[in-house]
Amino acid sequence: MTNVPTHAASAEVTPTDTHARGPLLLLIGSGLLWLVISGVLALITAIQLRTPGFMADCAWLTHGRAQALRESTFIYGWLANAGLAVALWVLGRLGGSPLRGLNWAVIGTLFWNTALAVGLVGIATGDMSGFAFLQLPRYVLPAMAIAYAAIAVPGVLAWIGRRNDTTFAAQWYAVAALFILPWILAAAQLVLLWLPVRGVVQAIAATWYAQAAWTLWLAPLALAGAYFVVPKTAGKLMPNYDFASLGFWTLMFLGAWTGGRHLIGGPVPAWIATMAVMAGSMLIFHYLVVFLNLRIATGSSGEAAKYIRFGLLAYILVGVLELYTSFRSAALGVQFTFLAVALEQLALYGAVSMLFFGAIHFLVPRITSRPWASAGLAAGHRVLVSIGIVVLLVALCAAGSTQAGLLADAKVSFGEITQRIGLPLLGVISAYLLLLAANLLLLVNFLQTALAFSGPSVQPQTLFRQPAALEGSAT
Amino acid sequence: MSSPMHQDKRVDQAAVTDESLMAAHEKLIGKQPDEKAHYKLAPLALLFLFSGLIFFGGTYLGRFSGHFHPKVYNEYAMPPKAGEVAAAPAVDPIVLGKAVYAQVCASCHQPNGMGLPPAFPPLAASEWVASEERAIRIVLYGLEGPIKVKGVDYNGVMPAAGPGSGFNLSPEKIAAVLTYIRQEWGNTSGPVTAAKVAEIKGKEGNRAAMKVAELEKLP
Repeated sequence: MTNVPTHAASAEVTPTDTHARGPLLLLIGSGLLWLVISGVLALITAIQLRTPGFMADCAWLTHGRAQALRESTFIYGWLANAGLAVALWVLGRLGGSPLRGLNWAVIGTLFWNTALAVGLVGIATGDMSGFAFLQLPRYVLPAMAIAYAAIAVPGVLAWIGRRNDTTFAAQWYAVAALFILPWILAAAQLVLLWLPVRGVVQAIAATWYAQAAWTLWLAPLALAGAYFVVPKTAGKLMPNYDFASLGFWTLMFLGAWTGGRHLIGGPVPAWIATMAVMAGSMLIFHYLVVFLNLRIATGSSGEAAKYIRFGLLAYILVGVLELYTSFRSAALGVQFTFLAVALEQLALYGAVSMLFFGAIHFLVPRITSRPWASAGLAAGHRVLVSIGIVVLLVALCAAGSTQAGLLADAKVSFGEITQRIGLPLLGVISAYLLLLAANLLLLVNFLQTALAFSGPSVQPQTLFRQPAALEGSAT
Repeated sequence: MSSPMHQDKRVDQAAVTDESLMAAHEKLIGKQPDEKAHYKLAPLALLFLFSGLIFFGGTYLGRFSGHFHPKVYNEYAMPPKAGEVAAAPAVDPIVLGKAVYAQVCASCHQPNGMGLPPAFPPLAASEWVASEERAIRIVLYGLEGPIKVKGVDYNGVMPAAGPGSGFNLSPEKIAAVLTYIRQEWGNTSGPVTAAKVAEIKGKEGNRAAMKVAELEKLP
């Protein structure tokens, strides 16, 4: 085995990466900016839960609107931009040629973020739709679906024009996520906002979208990054990789069917909630395969691997807990409490965001040909964000389990319950403070890295060690 | 080919190249578990587990799906058979009668059934309530003119409450409210059936309010 690159494409950093620098940095930068804005909004909503009078005089930031703003900036601002950057980069790397059609991505990013900003003003002025995960007013949604498709163009071109006939798990998940969001976003806005279906079907459609946005869009984006970065940093073959495609298709076929668990006890036909148990139990196979494949992350070194280990643990936990809460008896104690919020935060922050952080930490030095500006800021972000998420989940679970017990007791008034969970809610506020501080560190570190045009230019050869060939790849 | 930068903590080093990563994993997919005629345990265990999960999910769905019927909301229920009309749930006449009384009668006769002299006579311990024939006719058609109840004279107008009147109570509701009145406030008369109310309505037809003189001919 030799360390000398045989041809240019086998070097760790190639023109493939530097070519995509601008568009990918634009996506990541917008994502991090929205993440910080979402963090401020999260802080406001958390304080309002404890002190209802906070900002109550500001119509734009009353609790319902601030909550919708927080959710929309987090999902469509942070997760969408960051996830697209990861997916495009993975598809470019594995496609083997520089990304084509990057102008589409740049224009798409500008339109996506402009439409999002307009939509957020719409929410603040009272145009929110009222559906979870789809709070943006309908007049920006067509533009967003089209803008997303435009950003996806380079990724799809890289997939179609890939040099290798063989495909890799990271590519499947990335391509799936690129195609799925425009479809579910178009379908959901059509049946919920433009030609709204009536009655119970509306609730079913809304939960279908909310579940699909997480299982079919955000989870595949996160897995695309993980399936690439984990074996790259671990330098090992993924165990049980022959089951990876079965795990992928299990998620694709069954992912959205688990949405029925949100409708337990609602006026919907019994089979819809029952279907969630069926889909959830079969999805256990998907989570098991992901765990078996990516368990080599324990042998990875570096900051990215630390994020990814946290994210994978959270991801597996989400799968188990989603199945558990699909059972009607379990849902009785979880629905309408902070436990449901905790599960959502575990999925969106603990799993997806942490996997994105890991992938971004790995890819930014490769597209900028520069190391991160500060190792301290990077480590500080990782430590703070990990602690923040753990504190957030513990506090939400404490509040939720107290609520679950007291809400079932008719003798306890609602006001008394709110008072009893005051202490856990203080924990939630401090967790959001930690997360905001952490994400500010990341934003500063990112901006210093991305904008350091005058800094010393580093040759990729000196920055990155020449990677070896993976054992077993020789023909 | 190692430089000081390679130990830089600000960069995560990759261990393997993209090409070898893809090539090595592609080879794994092509490999059959029975190559060289011995099965590996892990793939078999995974397949068994997957089958088990499908079995559990399928069984659970079959048991608690209500046959995918759109009108089955309880996971333990079965869909109604074709042509079967769902049986109307039995209504407690006392519960229905109390509701009708509160809605229609209580404003004059009072919630405690004591009436409001001099216009509205009491129902509690009233000899008129004890007579089924008279009570049904009064509720159906109303009552005009003076009436003596428990030795006290009352003079008012009671509006009709039967079918076609302003209250438009069905025979079932009239039967329920009379059943309620005849066992409440110390009254001990028996229940009134909707059939009896309908029978009297058929006998009397559509007519004006009852007079005391007419009622006194009845048992």
